[in-house]
Amino acid sequence: MNTAKPLNKYVELNMGPQHPSTHGVLRLKLLLDGETVKRVEPVIGYLHRNAEKICELDYYCDSLLYFDRMDYVNSLSMEAGYLEAAEKLLGIEPPERAKWIRTVMAELSRIASHLVWAGAYGLDLGMLTPFFYVFDLREQLLNIFTEASGSRLLTNYMSIGGVYQDFNDKIVYMIKDFIKTFPKKLEEVFNLFVKNDIFISRTKGIGILEKDIAISYGVTGPMLRASGVEYDVRKAEPYLMYDKVNFDIPVSYTKDCLGRFLVRYEEMRQSVKIVKQAIDKIPDGPYFNPKAKKSLMIRLRGEGEAYGRTESSKGEFGVYIVGDGTVKPYRVRVRSPTFKNLSVLRELGKDVMIADLVAISGSIDLVFGEVDR
Amino acid sequence: MVEIVEEPAGKDKRKIFRVKKEDLLPAMKSFYDQGYDHLSLITGIDRRDKIEVVYHLYSFQKNEYIVVKTETLNDTVPSVTSIWQSADWDEREQYDMLGITFEGHPDLRRILLPEGWSGYPLRKNYDLSKVQFVNMDEEGNDYASFDPGDGW
Repeated sequence: MNTAKPLNKYVELNMGPQHPSTHGVLRLKLLLDGETVKRVEPVIGYLHRNAEKICELDYYCDSLLYFDRMDYVNSLSMEAGYLEAAEKLLGIEPPERAKWIRTVMAELSRIASHLVWAGAYGLDLGMLTPFFYVFDLREQLLNIFTEASGSRLLTNYMSIGGVYQDFNDKIVYMIKDFIKTFPKKLEEVFNLFVKNDIFISRTKGIGILEKDIAISYGVTGPMLRASGVEYDVRKAEPYLMYDKVNFDIPVSYTKDCLGRFLVRYEEMRQSVKIVKQAIDKIPDGPYFNPKAKKSLMIRLRGEGEAYGRTESSKGEFGVYIVGDGTVKPYRVRVRSPTFKNLSVLRELGKDVMIADLVAISGSIDLVFGEVDR
Repeated sequence: MVEIVEEPAGKDKRKIFRVKKEDLLPAMKSFYDQGYDHLSLITGIDRRDKIEVVYHLYSFQKNEYIVVKTETLNDTVPSVTSIWQSADWDEREQYDMLGITFEGHPDLRRILLPEGWSGYPLRKNYDLSKVQFVNMDEEGNDYASFDPGDGW
């Protein structure tokens, strides 16, 4: 099956697709020398649904719900990513209130995604306690999403031309309540990690990703920022309302797993900062563009092409849509950040111990709904 | 001399360049030398009579995003894996979905679908009514079997 014949002293080992530390259905073909990994080859596609083809068969407004199911822990950012491209193509501009609401929800969704990652990463490294803490925090966020959209994970909250439902006083109160208490609780969780010697020794100096390799492999997001490149789509090409709020891009120069953890932690704090500013700036007005009223939405026609890119919690999420003047898109292409980030595992997984490979693959933040699409 | 033609920008206001298939590799090399060190996306589009391949490039220094397009009549395009490593999996995915052969790719196999899959799903003439099951024979090779029923 493999292209290169292994020598006798090497052992081939199959890790996954059902393995507790691979975060879904990732299969790793390992070539082992004792306990050292000589070569690692990720095998993906076990959760493949071909969302790109399904989008071609659906109306522009219906495609949105398949984007929820890509990165299912961060569904609101996925929706923002699709609408970034679709609204450019269809020529529909959402009103300002809707843009602010989207900014708030996308940032809350980023926090939820990073929390899940932190908890799961703790589990990878043998820490059970932080998992319960972060899921308790995330539950508060899911309550906010439920209040706004009616569902917890696959929200389908945004829609072409605006958002599905307006913010009411209760949601605003819940969000303000959340950002008031969250930073302190987050610090408690953070201390559970960084004051643990085992966590530090299992992440510090492990999985060094050099800057030029990261750029050549197309790595983006916290992975790239942990390798010392200050690149964030929210700053490089601001979308929604990110040019009207103050925030910083955390960068780590240590290039290792601990750096990736710290970047994500700081990103959560920056997201709180963004939400804090944005929630006060939401103006009054319509939350929906009347040109894309619900009854008219299936008649929207798109012609030409548009590429929209956004910063999801994993990296640069891009959607490229080509229209041919009918009510259905001609071609939809999704740039999934984890797909690119996972491909660099071949470089990272050379000459490491098996236990470190678990730490490294966990630090990529894999969500297989998005890798396989 | 490499011929790079600039086309009117799309609705996202990004610059679009069109190159001939034969000039793709030198043109991409020149873009790389100009500072476009990040290959973001490779997209194949089935235009029924031809295949269009679209490359999205980004430059970290210039903070600029451009689109490079090429087209092919016989489903083969030169591979750009020698310039960007990230082209590796992207080209494998486009081979998987559209059957585009990237010449010079080190390891061109299906990536998302199993090896034994028949047909290319993102082709416009792909038969959606045919349901496939991929099984494994005794040697460990995949092969596809078809549902004799109506499909969906």
